[in-house]
Amino acid sequence: MKRTMGWNLTLAAGLGFFVALVGLPFWWVVSGSFKLPQEIIARVPTMFPQSFTWQHYDKLLSSSDYGTYLVNSVFVSGLSAFLTLLLAIPAGYAFFRLEFRGRETWYRVILLAYAFPSIVVLIPLFTMFAKAGLVDTRLALIIVNVAFALPFAIWMLRSFFGSIPREIEEAARLDGGPPLTVLRRIMIPLTAPGIAAVAIFAFVTSWTEYVFASVMILSDAKRTIPVGFSGIIGQYQVDWGLLLAGASLAILPVVIVFALIGRWFVTGLTEGAVK
Amino acid sequence: MKTPIRMLLAGSMLAIPAQVFAAPVEVTLWHMEQPPHRVERIQMLIDEFNAANPDITVSQEPQNWGEIYAKAPAALAAGTGPDMLFAIPDFAPILKEMGALTSLADFVAELDAEHDFVDSTVEAYSYDDGVWAVPLYNMTLNLWYRKSVFEEAGIDVPASWDEWRAAAETLTADGRFGMGLPANKQLYTDQTVYSVMVNGGASELYNEDGTLRFDNPETVAAYDFYNSMMEFSPPDATSWTWGEAEACFASASCGMVMQFTVISTYENQAEGDAADLGVAAIPTKDGSDDNATIAYANAVMLLSQEEAEREASKAFIRFLLQPENYGRFLNMEPGLFMPVTADGAEADSFWNDPVVQEYREQIETVIANGQNGKLFGFTSGRVFPAIAAISAQNVLAETLQSVVVSDMAPAEAVTAGQARMEDLSR
Repeated sequence: MKRTMGWNLTLAAGLGFFVALVGLPFWWVVSGSFKLPQEIIARVPTMFPQSFTWQHYDKLLSSSDYGTYLVNSVFVSGLSAFLTLLLAIPAGYAFFRLEFRGRETWYRVILLAYAFPSIVVLIPLFTMFAKAGLVDTRLALIIVNVAFALPFAIWMLRSFFGSIPREIEEAARLDGGPPLTVLRRIMIPLTAPGIAAVAIFAFVTSWTEYVFASVMILSDAKRTIPVGFSGIIGQYQVDWGLLLAGASLAILPVVIVFALIGRWFVTGLTEGAVK
Repeated sequence: MKTPIRMLLAGSMLAIPAQVFAAPVEVTLWHMEQPPHRVERIQMLIDEFNAANPDITVSQEPQNWGEIYAKAPAALAAGTGPDMLFAIPDFAPILKEMGALTSLADFVAELDAEHDFVDSTVEAYSYDDGVWAVPLYNMTLNLWYRKSVFEEAGIDVPASWDEWRAAAETLTADGRFGMGLPANKQLYTDQTVYSVMVNGGASELYNEDGTLRFDNPETVAAYDFYNSMMEFSPPDATSWTWGEAEACFASASCGMVMQFTVISTYENQAEGDAADLGVAAIPTKDGSDDNATIAYANAVMLLSQEEAEREASKAFIRFLLQPENYGRFLNMEPGLFMPVTADGAEADSFWNDPVVQEYREQIETVIANGQNGKLFGFTSGRVFPAIAAISAQNVLAETLQSVVVSDMAPAEAVTAGQARMEDLSR
């Protein structure tokens, strides 16, 4: 079917609009982080920097604990994503493949974890963690992040397992493969795009988690980026350059994760297509 | 290890004086001054104190105002709270209601005799037969402007509401807004609204018997005036907090703003001329010189129940309030934190800071404006605990939003505001 010029233009305009909607705020933040303070707060904002400076990054990394917050965030988010996958893959497969009493009920019940806003369980969890000696530990954040990411991850993965043709799995089982071997050798490679999506979801959820990180962690040296950074910015007086530099750096690890896992995501899709 | 060697070691241990083994008393300070330069300044003072007091070890854990209202009670309940915690007047009643505070009346009296506190700062924590925190620094809202902009526009510093409105109208030109005023449901708006209210005869939220008197003609007039000034404020002011207002002023997009200070941003980000920065008292309704403003007497509470920790905490507070240290403590953010003691207001350690020297004229005006500082709910010498909930829910700002955003008549909005306060007080 041949598209008309008008239709192409409409599509391009629509695409351009959404690219601008998503991309412009990022451009604003990243380009602003290299501007001199006067240009950042200028009455008429500049789309393209008229000045260039590293001073905000220099100040951020030399006079604050931003580096520590960054390392904490990478550690907490990375481990949270890994543990989420470690638990969600067999759980998702079990909900998909194994027959057991109450399977469908449990499958729905696990999503109840999402029915409660995190603020509702914040204080009870704090008290429980305090009794267990987990307050002010990064382990506490990892446990909370995994607990909150796991239900949705299981849901997503069960759907991905369900999209694999039954014949492929049956062929493997006929060759004598036990369920765990079938999962490891057949199902996991075939659901790589789904696993990548869940990994990204779990990582980003942990990366941006604020409520528990702000209350569970008491000492500065264990804070993650969202909480530590909000403190650096200040309340009454905002250093806008510092804010933009910190926000730009905070995006970076997420972009790297997308780049690394995203490649795997695409590879998984194309491999499936060729086969 | 062979037995004779063990015995020899045991004997030598007994010979060492007991104080060598006495571990220093460890106390933790939680404060909400998180920006790195403030943390660094507090750490510098802590290091000096620890070096001079080897039997005490103070450490700091900066916290965030956004979470402290939930975090501190939870931490105290779980036994993981600090020994010292910074406070503002409407935060202290929450911890007092929990039974976490014991009166510091004797300690405050001792410090008052030595340093002479500004009375209003102690009064903000004096109720129910006790004094619940030690005042540390004051913050007051003022009217900031550029002298050159006023001169160019041919206007004088406004003294009355009519003059203030006329000045804002004159300054609103060429893409500039005459007055940067917030209308967000947030603490900054509570502060700006109340600063207008106190200058319009509506400083009292409570009657003598503890019933609310928010709904009165003076309050309605204050909201009406504030709403009329929004015409000269940027359209995004309904989502402003302190930072946006300050940026608006620093970029010369706003002719005037009400702020605790703009000095740091004006100096470091706008590279403004100190001689051109003007600060004045917030205008009164009738133009009288009986100006008032909102004032936050920040203080420190003692939370530890152990005598050793309490005494160690008191030693640290005594150290902070010594004039040779106090100025350096206040100047963790020059121009923002004002002294609450008479000797602190004269201390070289305060006035010798380079930024304070450069902006001495403005800072002296801010200190003078603070003499008639008030805080809603803490004005009559009696504090009703419900004020903490009213403050936490930003009811003053919420009422303004009803007027500015929802176009409700000021009288109707104020009536609804009082009903909301009564709900929260139950």
